Amino acid sequence: MSVSECEMADRKSAAVMESLMLVAPVTALEFLEEEYLLAGEGPILSVYSLQTLLINCTSLSVLQNQRIHGIHLDPWQQERGATAAAPKEEELFVSPWQQSGRVRSVVLAVFGGKAVRVVGLKETGCGGPSLEALGPVIELQDWVCDVRWLRARAPLLAVALAHNAVLLLEAGKGWSLALCSCQEGCLLYSALLLGQRWDDMVIVGGTVFNQLVIWRPGEVGEDGRDRIEGLQMEVGRTAQVEKRLSGHSGVIFSLAYLPKHGWLASASDDRSVRLWGVGALGGVAGCGVPAPPCLRVLYGHQARVFSVRLSPGRVFSAGEDGACLQWGWDSGRVERSLKGHIAGGVRALALSGGGRAVEVACDWGGRRRDQALEGMQVHLRAGRGKVHSVLWAGQDGVRAYLLASGTAGQVFRWLLEGALYSCGRDGCVRELRVGAGDRLEVLRVERACRGMEWVERVLILDPEEGGEEQGTGEGCQMVVLGFQSVFFVVWDPVRRERLLSVPCGGGHRSWSYCPPSGPHRAGGALVFVKQGAVLATQVPQDPQGAVSWGLKVGLHGRGMGCVCRLGWVGPAGQGERWEILAAGGEDTSLSVLALQPLSGALRVLSVITDHISSVRALAVGLRGKMRIDGQKHGCSQTDGHTVTSLSSLLISAGGRAQLQCYRLLVGWGSQLSSPFCQVIQVASHRLDEQWERRRNRHKIVKMDPETRYMSLAVLHDGPEWILLAVGCSDGAVRVFSVSEVDGSFQLLWESFYHQRCVLSVAPCCLKDPQSNRKLFMFSGATDGRVAVWDMSTITAWRASPTAAPTWNGTCSPCLTFTVHQSGVNSLAVWEGHGDGQTGWMTVASGGDDGQLSVVNIRVQFHQQLVEGSTMCVELQSQSTVLLAHAAPLTALRHLGPSLLVSASPDQRVCLWSLCSSAPHHHSPGPHQQGPASASMAPPHISRTPPLTSMALPYTSRACSSHTWPTQRAWRCGLGLGVKAEPG
Amino acid sequence: MSIDKVISDIRICRSLWENMGRSSKDKRDIYYRLAKEEGWRARSAFKLLQLDEEFNLFKGVRRAVDLCAAPGSWSQVLSRKLRGTEENSEDVKIVAVDLQAMAPLPGVTQIQGDITKITTAQEIIKHFEGQPADLVVCDGAPDVTGLHDVDEYIQAQLLLAALNITTHVLKPGGTFVAKIFRGKDVTLLYSQLKVFFSGVTCAKPRSSRNSSIEAFVVCENYSPPEGYIPNMSNPLLDHSYDVDFNQLEGPNRIIVPFLACGDLSAFDSDRTYPLQLDPSKEYRYTPPIQPPIRPPYQQACHLRKNNLLSKEDSPTVSFGGAFSALHLSANQESDTAAAAAAAAPQLDSCEMNEEEAAEQEVQ
Repeated sequence: MSVSECEMADRKSAAVMESLMLVAPVTALEFLEEEYLLAGEGPILSVYSLQTLLINCTSLSVLQNQRIHGIHLDPWQQERGATAAAPKEEELFVSPWQQSGRVRSVVLAVFGGKAVRVVGLKETGCGGPSLEALGPVIELQDWVCDVRWLRARAPLLAVALAHNAVLLLEAGKGWSLALCSCQEGCLLYSALLLGQRWDDMVIVGGTVFNQLVIWRPGEVGEDGRDRIEGLQMEVGRTAQVEKRLSGHSGVIFSLAYLPKHGWLASASDDRSVRLWGVGALGGVAGCGVPAPPCLRVLYGHQARVFSVRLSPGRVFSAGEDGACLQWGWDSGRVERSLKGHIAGGVRALALSGGGRAVEVACDWGGRRRDQALEGMQVHLRAGRGKVHSVLWAGQDGVRAYLLASGTAGQVFRWLLEGALYSCGRDGCVRELRVGAGDRLEVLRVERACRGMEWVERVLILDPEEGGEEQGTGEGCQMVVLGFQSVFFVVWDPVRRERLLSVPCGGGHRSWSYCPPSGPHRAGGALVFVKQGAVLATQVPQDPQGAVSWGLKVGLHGRGMGCVCRLGWVGPAGQGERWEILAAGGEDTSLSVLALQPLSGALRVLSVITDHISSVRALAVGLRGKMRIDGQKHGCSQTDGHTVTSLSSLLISAGGRAQLQCYRLLVGWGSQLSSPFCQVIQVASHRLDEQWERRRNRHKIVKMDPETRYMSLAVLHDGPEWILLAVGCSDGAVRVFSVSEVDGSFQLLWESFYHQRCVLSVAPCCLKDPQSNRKLFMFSGATDGRVAVWDMSTITAWRASPTAAPTWNGTCSPCLTFTVHQSGVNSLAVWEGHGDGQTGWMTVASGGDDGQLSVVNIRVQFHQQLVEGSTMCVELQSQSTVLLAHAAPLTALRHLGPSLLVSASPDQRVCLWSLCSSAPHHHSPGPHQQGPASASMAPPHISRTPPLTSMALPYTSRACSSHTWPTQRAWRCGLGLGVKAEPG
Repeated sequence: MSIDKVISDIRICRSLWENMGRSSKDKRDIYYRLAKEEGWRARSAFKLLQLDEEFNLFKGVRRAVDLCAAPGSWSQVLSRKLRGTEENSEDVKIVAVDLQAMAPLPGVTQIQGDITKITTAQEIIKHFEGQPADLVVCDGAPDVTGLHDVDEYIQAQLLLAALNITTHVLKPGGTFVAKIFRGKDVTLLYSQLKVFFSGVTCAKPRSSRNSSIEAFVVCENYSPPEGYIPNMSNPLLDHSYDVDFNQLEGPNRIIVPFLACGDLSAFDSDRTYPLQLDPSKEYRYTPPIQPPIRPPYQQACHLRKNNLLSKEDSPTVSFGGAFSALHLSANQESDTAAAAAAAAPQLDSCEMNEEEAAEQEVQ
């Protein structure tokens, strides 16, 4: 947030929001020789050290509200500094480092959206590198496709613009010196600038019409080449297309050029990579050979190809399918397929000079790792039924485990941790533990891998030799071995990727697997019997082998739909606490995340994959008994520190009318100084369970709608059970109860009153003059109507032992009103009105029409029945901000007595204060804080559809010395932003 | 199990899967289903119909242009509504412009051309016998890349290109309707449109999903700035925040009025409906009117279907030379069966991709 905004806000003594942390997809990558890897994550430039195994050294927010799409190193910095002794013209590779005394520095041009910025990376003798902006953000009129440093005395940049034009930019001051447009002014999806000097540089553009066009922007003829040094602006020149390469049937997403061989590679929407023999481009050679042939057409990706890079003899491509393919130039075949990214696809690819291909950034960064539960106690127990074989598989004083294989292809495993895994031919891995009374309790059943129906074994790999190399101090890692179709598969359930896949012919084989050693888990050797022969497969681990490091944990690849905060764990008052969030995504998975806003660290604690469709809503129950004895939610003394752990019920709802409930035990491991999470499945529910049980269902067309659950709200959070309100896409509002004791959901009530997709639900509790609790439920639908339901009697009814299976309390709402033109996306309801009078409710709603509306509702309680009811619910006043956002208002939360926060896909989060001078006046409307202050454009490029949810802590206290109550809002979308708002 | 049996099983599964997948789409999207049943080429036809209900777009329109027309559902609407109501439907002239060819429609002249070319504008005017158009509509959208900032930019450029050609062909006082994404910089587009039209409204038809950021700008009363000369050679660039006093933050941002269109009694595009809508009429699956024409992934899908995509070579090696001969000779049959089985899930997923893509197209 800029200084001016802060001042304005202070003057108004208003609340200010500040962005604390942003997790965004990686969209740009570049190697800095063999030493560092530079990554663009949203507007943030991060530097990872390659020598110390990809530890994030430093980060800097570079582009304000634009996402970084590319990074280019200045190779001529050295030459520019030293006036004399210029290197030879032909020299192609120059070190970008400049040494001055003990300080080494590199200059980078970072671009994205319509902005370019020059950034310096400095490395002093001691300590890591540091980043500093060397100039302001240069805002341009058009989208930037590529930039290139020019070889000149002044720091000049050539900038390729999306309307097929090239701009000459003085990088220090941001002056535009010359602009040359191509006569063909069509839109470019990608561009590549080549050459060292403006006069003879060449641009290759990938057009919206699926072609590559090659032309020269700087051809000036007689003027001579010193014109540049004169720094005169020149405009309006146009150039002709000199070469045109056709063949792709989709737009071009990425281009790469290898000067040594004169190859140009293009990656396209048509899922192919094409190689063209263009010859020398740029410099005296101009636009290369007269008719460039298409040398190779490489089809291998299962989806669009987003990025391509070339090295001598090889082509690397990466795409939406999350794979990075290494192609042999001669054979035109896939030499190696690198997979390591979850859904979402790979956006950026970088090659280091030595041809060592690393990495591949996807929508959500790198790979993820999990924390194992910390050792507690030794349990060694015999299995049930006949034990076929028992095997000790390792004993080193730290970890020992026992394998016992029983009937029905099961393998039991006992660990020091007391957790126990079993697997079978139903494709599931069960996590069990020994509960009270020496009974086995199933904690979690997890489908190991889609399509892997036959799970043979769970293998715990020893922690890596250098456990600290990830900087996470991780524990042991679990892999699942099994057969999928005709393949033997080694599956990593946390990273959700196949580590090894061998076409051995399928099950019924005698086999043995030897896990690999070393810092990476891919490969290993498999020996199996097939057709009477003993076959072995071993992935070579030669220096050319693919070695992968996790750079950054991956989150939901296809965008998050909902997020909710569970609480925090960790030592109190040390600034070391970890906020625990749960997030659900379109990739049908649910993840438990821990983040430390102060350090910016993010861990994925657990990934739950029980949903069969996208996860749309989350709710949390904080009360309730823990089924398993042991550590309770609260504080414990460890090493003299008070450490907080947490236990809560997480309920998730999503597509295909699916509800899931989990008990999450999040603790803090003081040895590893990091949080860990145990997930226990409590209950699961689908509306159409009868249908699921039908045997011949694949032969009939199912007539009822496949309902999506749109929103969830906890109506009652009791110790025995929780009441949940669910907004459904089939037009119903449903109320479920979920009980941890029974381990089941129960549908108590439903109403099809809305007859439209119900988008939001919210509860509100009041007390009547007799101090009886009155429970109201609010529901909003796509027609902009909100209905108010009196649910007061449902809790008492649910508590009574003789309750009927369904509740018949309310059949019509006690009040309905229209607040929006179209959908009511978000509702926030609280008791009170202005100064907190009783008998009032305030309803804030955010709509698809971008409107924010606040409605005051008065509840009058009568002594006798009036019109068949003891209370009267009336709409008293309504006020709206018509154009609160330029886009749909997707999330709204009530922060304090008179403070609201709203979020929208227009990339803005706004704070609103409710001004009401007198509580009985009818216009306590929302007013935006300050003239322009509180509305802020987050430095955040995560646009929409998924920008739908915001989670707020209940009240998290201030960090250490400050006495401000701090509240944080989490926005989700294709990125995760954390905002702190010291009030 | 013989190979034949395996293959025939695969075929049965595939056909069942297809049927289920198709009816599932019918449930999830009521307008998709209605479009098929009413003979529209895409569900977006309802969006134009609902916009017309609100804004009376078609009143007195004799000459209409549909930009980025394929697969042609908006041209269909123009054809049915303009020619149907007029006494002398011969007077009505409709031009559909797209890079792709599309199936012919009654009363609609197709121009296969680029909307950024002056020649295309000239051709439209020529077809209208020198007269300007009364109405220009554009429902074009780029294939989304998944990177939202890029998608929003490309959509904005498409809209500006449509606006640019519109300034060549629209009569003063005419109407322009185009698709817009309500995203980060939508206010910049609004300010650009406000320069050319006195009335700009952001409208959301009920048939457009609540969850989608798609909306439509209805720009009424074309009144270009005095002395404005349409120029195709320089693309209209987006406005930027500081130049036009259109602030990044605060109340000076230009946000145009929002209007939800369509009768509230109309179907809800977000709701899931049972297949049996009317108890008296049995549900029957209707195939799509028009599948996507030459999608970019056609060749890739063809290769995938036939298992021709390049794959990493199998790392399996024989365990010792002594066994290798035996292995090779004895293994032929089972390997073929294995390949057939391995191909099966890919066939299905490929189908699914095409259908998903068709879904996008239809939307």
